[in-house]
Amino acid sequence: MATTTATVSISSGDLNPGSSLSINASSQLMKTGLTTGLELMEMGNHSIATSTEFNLSSALGEVNGAHYVYICNTTTNDEYYIEWGLHDTMIGNLNSGQWMFIPWNNAVATDSEIELEAKNGTCTFEYAIFKSAWTLPTAAA
Amino acid sequence: MALVPTLTIKDTTTFSDEINFSITDSLTVTAPSSSLSTIVVDTTGANNIIVAANDNKQTWLFVRHTGTSDGSSSTSAHCDIEITGDVAVGTLKPGEWFFFPFCGNGASKGVQLQAVGSAVQCEYAYWSDSTGQ
Repeated sequence: MATTTATVSISSGDLNPGSSLSINASSQLMKTGLTTGLELMEMGNHSIATSTEFNLSSALGEVNGAHYVYICNTTTNDEYYIEWGLHDTMIGNLNSGQWMFIPWNNAVATDSEIELEAKNGTCTFEYAIFKSAWTLPTAAA
Repeated sequence: MALVPTLTIKDTTTFSDEINFSITDSLTVTAPSSSLSTIVVDTTGANNIIVAANDNKQTWLFVRHTGTSDGSSSTSAHCDIEITGDVAVGTLKPGEWFFFPFCGNGASKGVQLQAVGSAVQCEYAYWSDSTGQ
């Protein structure tokens, strides 16, 4: 059976008084229900010019489907960062070298695409999307 | 104060080319922060705000669905992640987790959880990024 496992560890030696922080969590990526076996994956890297937006995921994915998204800002200039958001809602920033991993369910077909915008300079990033379904566009006649 | 998050994704069975990659980073974090806490999430998002509106304070947020409704009874209920105001980001199934950067967007937004159908227990923690973008 197809099994994709995502593991995170978060550690710190000086954050908590008197003790170190060590979080470890691992999960198998699941389809829309509770079965494992994601079949589709997109991976790649792109660059985004300053103050322009990149639509990482079009609205063609399955609405309310199972998607898992990894994004890392691979830009080496510490002053360049990427804003990420869903459609018109800006959510957070990825600075140089920072990464994120989220389940994304494309809740609204045309209003929940993941958008990235470069700030202060051209940014490069890498990404991976794992998913269980993908709706292909209709072929031209 | 330094926080070191590491992500590893592995898959040896789905494709003929094995997936196995790992990425790590070192974040400089500052107050406010919240060490690991648990919350029993009900079906009304506004009742389960885990990061208050913070007006552009960059925050790193970790949340994990414990697979239980109360710390002991297992559940298959899902848990939605939302920006306050009901902007859906994604859904956690039992055992799943996420880690992402959030800032208040200059519009006094926070982060809330909303169980789907019945209560879900989650654990969460957040840390503020010292860069403050």
